[in-house]
Amino acid sequence: MSLQQTATAIAGPRKGAGNPFRWQLVTPWLLLLPAFLSLASVSVYPILKGLWLSFTNTSLVTQEHDFIGFGNYRLLWVDDLFWNAWWHTITFTAVSTLAETLLGLAIALLLFEHFAFRGVVRAAMLVPWAMPTVVTSKMFGWLFDGQHGLINYLLKSAGIIKDNVNWLGSVDNALWTIIFADVWKTTPFMALLLLAGLHTIPKSLIEAARMDGARSLATFWYVRLPMLLPTLLIAGLFRALDAFRVFDLVYVLTGGGPADSTETLSTLNYKTLFSTLQFGYGSAISTAMFITEALIALGFCIFLYERLRRQR
Amino acid sequence: MSQDESGRSAAKTALAASLNRRSLLKGASLAAGSMALGGGLLASTSSGARAADRTEITFASAKFYAKKTIAQIVDAFNESQSKIHVKYIELPPPSSSTEVHQALVQQLARRNGAPDVFTQDVVWIAEFAGAGWALPLDEYFPAAARAEYFPGLIDACTYQGKLTALPWIVDGGMLFYRKDLLEAAGAKVPETWADMAMIAAELQKGGKVDFGYLWQGKQAEVLVCDAVEVIASNNGSILSADGKTASVGSDQAVEAMQFLYDTINTTKISPADVLSWDEEPSRLPFTAGKAAFLRNWSYVYGIAQDPSASSVVDKVGVAPLPHFAGGKSAACLGGYQYGVNASTKHREAAVEFLTWMSSPATQLRFAVDLGLAPTRPAVFNEAELAKEQPFMQTLQGVFTGATPRPVTPKYAQVSLALQSGFSRGLVSGDIKKELTATASKIDAILGT
Amino acid sequence: MIYAYSPLRRFGLYLGALLALIWSGGPFLWQLSSSFQLDRELTTGSPKFWPAPFTIEHYVNLVVEKSFQEYIYNSIIVASLTTLFCLFVGALAAFSLSRLDVRGKFGVLGIILSISMFPQIAIVGPLYLLASDLGLLDTYASLVITYLALGLPLVTWVLFGYFETLPREIDEAARMDGCSTLGLLFRIILPISLPSLVTTGLLAFIAAWNEFMFALAFTSSIDHQTVPVGIANFTNLYYVPWGDIAAASVVVTVPLIVLVLAFQKHIIEGLTQGGVKE
Repeated sequence: MSLQQTATAIAGPRKGAGNPFRWQLVTPWLLLLPAFLSLASVSVYPILKGLWLSFTNTSLVTQEHDFIGFGNYRLLWVDDLFWNAWWHTITFTAVSTLAETLLGLAIALLLFEHFAFRGVVRAAMLVPWAMPTVVTSKMFGWLFDGQHGLINYLLKSAGIIKDNVNWLGSVDNALWTIIFADVWKTTPFMALLLLAGLHTIPKSLIEAARMDGARSLATFWYVRLPMLLPTLLIAGLFRALDAFRVFDLVYVLTGGGPADSTETLSTLNYKTLFSTLQFGYGSAISTAMFITEALIALGFCIFLYERLRRQR
Repeated sequence: MSQDESGRSAAKTALAASLNRRSLLKGASLAAGSMALGGGLLASTSSGARAADRTEITFASAKFYAKKTIAQIVDAFNESQSKIHVKYIELPPPSSSTEVHQALVQQLARRNGAPDVFTQDVVWIAEFAGAGWALPLDEYFPAAARAEYFPGLIDACTYQGKLTALPWIVDGGMLFYRKDLLEAAGAKVPETWADMAMIAAELQKGGKVDFGYLWQGKQAEVLVCDAVEVIASNNGSILSADGKTASVGSDQAVEAMQFLYDTINTTKISPADVLSWDEEPSRLPFTAGKAAFLRNWSYVYGIAQDPSASSVVDKVGVAPLPHFAGGKSAACLGGYQYGVNASTKHREAAVEFLTWMSSPATQLRFAVDLGLAPTRPAVFNEAELAKEQPFMQTLQGVFTGATPRPVTPKYAQVSLALQSGFSRGLVSGDIKKELTATASKIDAILGT
Repeated sequence: MIYAYSPLRRFGLYLGALLALIWSGGPFLWQLSSSFQLDRELTTGSPKFWPAPFTIEHYVNLVVEKSFQEYIYNSIIVASLTTLFCLFVGALAAFSLSRLDVRGKFGVLGIILSISMFPQIAIVGPLYLLASDLGLLDTYASLVITYLALGLPLVTWVLFGYFETLPREIDEAARMDGCSTLGLLFRIILPISLPSLVTTGLLAFIAAWNEFMFALAFTSSIDHQTVPVGIANFTNLYYVPWGDIAAASVVVTVPLIVLVLAFQKHIIEGLTQGGVKE
């Protein structure tokens, strides 16, 4: 494959000239092949099987395996526990993604500036994300323990609260405590991506804005933010989808309680599939999760598409 | 033994010779594979040589360990005889019990004979039996053999009249108390819940402890255990005697759960945090010396006596749980039991292995080396147990009166409904309403 | 920077940095402190930040009792392989979608994304059976293959987003110099994408490092179990050895931080200060 042929192929296909085998058309798909193979081998079979199972009443306990059409979905539609979990999950996703985006943006802007020990702060910023999840969940259970947790101790010592607050055992506080734990743990994810995104903004643009007399806030709002938007949207998208599937934190900290007040779709799905072995109904929950996530992703993607189209 | 060895090496050389011819082919196909695949091939080749003269069966168990491991006990079996070779498959530890359940179910549901022998949590026995995964063992363990175990345990291992599990280890809920505080206050160890609440309130008011009584109210399986204990100690039950309808909405059950609700809101001997506590968070304040009474499993005693983890060494006593007036003390039955795969291809070998594992000698080893309480009353009287695990010996009474959780193949679903209902009742205080709603849910699950 | 910072701005910066440091590092420092204390000290009324009595028994336990170094070794292998493959395959895919003429590229991106949207809990069971049939249970391969698929969507999307910000002129200039497609990717685009590669590589590494559910399902012996499974195995039945867990989390987190420090100093700063893109 000579360089001349490549140049010819790229310059533009001339009808009837050059290779019978048009690399130009095939190369993109060849480059995509490893990705497709990897994803297909792991995901396609389980996903299709899951979709199929959602139309059956498969339960390993009762040994049933019958096709029941949309029966599971009809049950799901009127299941209070499902909608309870659905609302909690949506709330969790919205609040934590928003909080992590704002906080992550603030940290990214901070770490973009030059100051002494910036490297140390950048490394420290990653600690919450780097700590093993199995440890973080238990650690927060410990920190927020109502009786001997560190948070209550510090707040009482600082005089902010008088009595111990029941963080995880109270229906009013539990979900917010979990959201707080997730924000602490996952903000570095957003901050890191946004920091990388800030580095892609051409310095010339910022300098030009400054020379025009724009102050920091204006520079941020009119120059940096628009250029950061694609990165923000992509990071926000992945963060939202991950938040929707939150599992470890909830399962370890509260198990879905108290009184089902922190039940999320993942913990509900986990209990249905792993404990009660209702593979049919559980697969319907999985599919419902998938559909909701698809809607969320669609929202993000529409914004992103518009943005990228304008940028081109 | 030497004959076996020479036979084995002859088999090995024969295999090696055949390998040489095909090695080129194998090398080419394995070149792209991972190291691990190659390692797996080597391992199966060598055990293939051994399997030629020994029946090979697989034993899957959740990972328990202390000074020794289950693998070591299985090795002892392998070395003690030459007919059977047991391959031990280690599942996650019992703290990840849902994953153990999932791993077992995935294998058993394929009905291809693996694993031949396994261990199951006591609440899965009915489920595995109902699905036809566990082999009925009545013919191998007649009534005389069964009488050597705790009767409550044999009941828990029986489903629809058939013995589908063999008892292995047992645990139960018990009352831990500060014997130094009780002595100082001149109080006797309480036998009724009312007495316990009174003593607890007194000690708490006197400032001797921060909390009177600690228990587990987290919306998890342990909540069902705590509830079963109070309800059964009031002559109530969750399911009717025939196991077909729910009786968790009965007055006795409501009264029992009301007592738990009161500990937080009326008598205030328990902090509201118990609603998010399972075993460890409730154990920690007790071994730190901040509580007078604690309901928990037997593992607490060992920690309470460990100076690096406890501030109350030699100050802790253990007693059966209290009961309501007119009721009897009830301890929730826990522990793992043996099962044989219904599709096993080596029935005799599996049963022989099972008999050895369940023998008094091996149960003693489990008790002394792994700290797992035996299910044969006779083993409790062994001198070695008295020397190495004196505390375990005192528990015989507790385990004799152990109460099982509802026995039904759909226990997982029933348990989730119970967890939700109990938690809602304890949070809102509308105990009667929540328990009645839970009873109808359970009836719907059981299909009646 | 063109101008010097005003004192107020400097103060704001350092205050912000301090807050960020406390917020991110605070709980970790508490873990560090706990790892040197006896378990019974953790429940006293007033927590001590300075360990007294000081003990290193938890770190000793890690090596002697738990053989923690085996888990770390396994995790390093699995996470490194995953990251390498993820970056390689993801870069190929992102480059193809961004730089080459692919009809329906957003559809392809959408498919890649949607495959990752299915809850992992639903995938564990069928994959376990598949791995069991292929004899891949308790191997590195099962984990690397799975983690590669799990991490690919994020890596592909972020690299795609980054490649989109690179001016098209670079491509044209390279082609006019007679550069082939792959040459364009490996010799020109990737080197200037190093900050993005490092970022996504770091995220992919940490994701593989911390993954628990598949590791627990697929591995069963200490020869292949990773750090999260190792830590989960600290708890036998009920007792949670807090000190040991704190020690484990310190041992696991510190090298990652050192890694990040090394990477960010030498790569991110070095490149962007050179103004490569201008």
